[in-house]
Amino acid sequence: MRDNYILKNSLKQLFSLFGLIAIIIISSILSPRFLKIENLITILRQSSILLILSLGLTGVVLTGGIDLSISAIAAFVGCTIAQLLKSGMSIPLVFGIGLIVGGVIGIFNGILVGKLKMPPFVATYGMMMVVNGLSLIMMQGAVIYGLPKKFTWLGVGYMGSIPIPVVLAFLVSLFFIILFRKTVFGAELYILGANKTAARYSSIPVDKNLILIYGISGLTAGFAGIILTARLDAAEVAMTDVFGLQTVAAVVIGGTSLLGGEGGAFGTVIGALILTIVVNIMNLTGISSFFQPIVMGVVIIFTVFIDVVSKRRQ
Amino acid sequence: MEPILSVRGLSKSFPGVQALDGVNFDLYPGEVHIIVGENGAGKSTLTKCILGAYIPEKGEIYFNGERVEFKHSRDAIEKGISAVYQEFNLVPYLDVAHNIFFNREYMSKIPGIIDKKKMHNEAKKILESLNVDYINTATKVKDLDVAEKQMVEIAKALSTNPKIIVFDEPTAPLSSREVDAFFKKINQLKESGIAVIYISHRMHEFEFIGDRITVLRDGKYIGTVNIGDVSDDELVEMMVGRSVSQIYTRTENKYSKEALRVENLFDKKGNVIDASLYVRKGEIVGLAGLVGAGRTELVRLVFGIDKIEKGSIFVNGEKVIPKSPTHMMKLGVGLLPEDRKEQGLALSLPVALNIVMVSLRQLFKKYFINKKKTEQISNKYIKELNIVTPSVNSIVKYLSGGNQQKVVIAKWLLPDPDIIIFDEPTRGIDVGAKMEIYGLMDKLASAGKAILMISSELQEVIGLSDRFYILYEGRIVSESKKGELSEQEIGMKMLAGR
Repeated sequence: MRDNYILKNSLKQLFSLFGLIAIIIISSILSPRFLKIENLITILRQSSILLILSLGLTGVVLTGGIDLSISAIAAFVGCTIAQLLKSGMSIPLVFGIGLIVGGVIGIFNGILVGKLKMPPFVATYGMMMVVNGLSLIMMQGAVIYGLPKKFTWLGVGYMGSIPIPVVLAFLVSLFFIILFRKTVFGAELYILGANKTAARYSSIPVDKNLILIYGISGLTAGFAGIILTARLDAAEVAMTDVFGLQTVAAVVIGGTSLLGGEGGAFGTVIGALILTIVVNIMNLTGISSFFQPIVMGVVIIFTVFIDVVSKRRQ
Repeated sequence: MEPILSVRGLSKSFPGVQALDGVNFDLYPGEVHIIVGENGAGKSTLTKCILGAYIPEKGEIYFNGERVEFKHSRDAIEKGISAVYQEFNLVPYLDVAHNIFFNREYMSKIPGIIDKKKMHNEAKKILESLNVDYINTATKVKDLDVAEKQMVEIAKALSTNPKIIVFDEPTAPLSSREVDAFFKKINQLKESGIAVIYISHRMHEFEFIGDRITVLRDGKYIGTVNIGDVSDDELVEMMVGRSVSQIYTRTENKYSKEALRVENLFDKKGNVIDASLYVRKGEIVGLAGLVGAGRTELVRLVFGIDKIEKGSIFVNGEKVIPKSPTHMMKLGVGLLPEDRKEQGLALSLPVALNIVMVSLRQLFKKYFINKKKTEQISNKYIKELNIVTPSVNSIVKYLSGGNQQKVVIAKWLLPDPDIIIFDEPTRGIDVGAKMEIYGLMDKLASAGKAILMISSELQEVIGLSDRFYILYEGRIVSESKKGELSEQEIGMKMLAGR
């Protein structure tokens, strides 16, 4: 089994899936309210922004990199479009600008990592600070609220009984699953993560691919920022602080290796759901929010522990 | 004389493989005993049993006539058995002296403090005895080149004053000067009564150091012979189990027009100086020279990995300035790199994805991958090149060296380049796989491909090339047709440039 790639990879995702099912079973025992439709929809809605952010990051992690700037990009895009909407610009135009701003910042990350060969951790950490600073200057400490109804529909509207952010997160998930699994670019990301030198010797355009995937990560972060702004009907510099490094946790819990070359988007969906359910069940059972970070930390350490142990076995 | 180590009827199996099957082996003090066999023959498994890294299922091991059962490699080290493995076991951020005495540091009177002076002095002594005192004991290991690292590994193994020492392909990363010094050291060890187990594929080395050779095949003991009693061909026959009429067979080809021409090429670092050469379609052209003569640097320029400083490159008559491997691949140039693990393969990915790696963008023009097509194509090459793998989805890491190399070859046959550069195509692989690769190169030349081959094995260059160049310190010092130069003349040009 250890030498069959397909089997090994699907088993790994299966493990994450089992983890998710186990948490669902435990949660339904802990609280009768957990399995209520309204609560399940709440969970999906709460996980949607984290999921979208984490999906973009997944591609970067597949190449063996990391993008610490996505939360900052999401906040910056959120603040930018809120300002533009307030100035009366049309919604589609603002939407487009938001995506472009996110994408361009991501491409800068890609140039630092791909062309200038900087370590992704340092490059994107620096970018995070710069983007945060830009948000601070732009906002001058203000909170913008009262955005057009047509815009906030993206965050609070429903399609039937499904919240719009859930529909969007579903579509973005589908997009990334296909991108990683079914396209040439996706295959090249895995190869890059497994061995960059071999990728280069194999005539794969390593630099271009890196720039593109960091660009996609930035663009996705921008998209998440837009949806979050619509959902909050407000924008401020600290709007994405709640996510912290939960994005990285969602990716890792989903079975994508931080070393690159292994994992996928489906795992990240599971990872984001696990993280959201853990918070949800703590709220339902009335566990003090002071304890919540500890539980989250233990969940993250435990999943990675399982992964490391199963690797050592091999 | 009593053997210091005696192995009787040793067996060990892994899921699906009988790695060792009733193997016998005797080692006498003051002897260099070479173990040969194809990859997967059981050489490493045997030595790992002797070293206590594996526990055998059947059979006995006697050390100085006394039955021993090693449970752990510590047990073997305590008895005085030490080893230099193919992979480095050094700590990059510690200095040379500390690496040599790692875990056995000399302590000063103050508890917990290392006696640095003593450690460096002792390290220096060992390095001097190895004739490599140019290695500074205070240098961090990460700043050493591969050959120097290997010498540090050897020094580390010697520092325990072992009675038995195991070398696994020790000369692979060494230049010829270092190999000479290393052989001298082995002969010294021999004289002082130390027994050496030596695993190697390099048959031309055996006569300089070896006393006896034990041949393994498919985990079975085939025989032990004295060096000098058998010819190379007989030895190969024992290893592969079939007769070797001719290792290097070449078909007579008609050369057509020039595919690759290099004129007055310089690189930016002075490793390639004023190099000119050409390769015609249907021709195998060799590039001989010592490690560091600039051979790899030269082909890296041609393939667009490094930038050229001056000079011209022509592909099929058109002048090009190589921008990147992507660029050169599109022009019909392929390069099989010298280090298949670092440069050739994505080890953690499946065979199929490795085979289509270069051709992804050609095969799937519409951006979407067709998994079925990928597997069909891969299966075709697995059959054609006789790649031994459980399936197309098996992870490349678990294939043997020879089969890994064939995956690299398949990867470059798939886009069907006109010009194929082989950099050390048979390094570290067994005789059987070597012969298959030679046959394949011959077939490619017959099919009108232009082949440029770098090899450190002189026999390979002489046997396979229609024409070959010799590089010495970055310059091409000789061009000759097959059979024009004697081995001595070639050796002289490689070593002294004239």
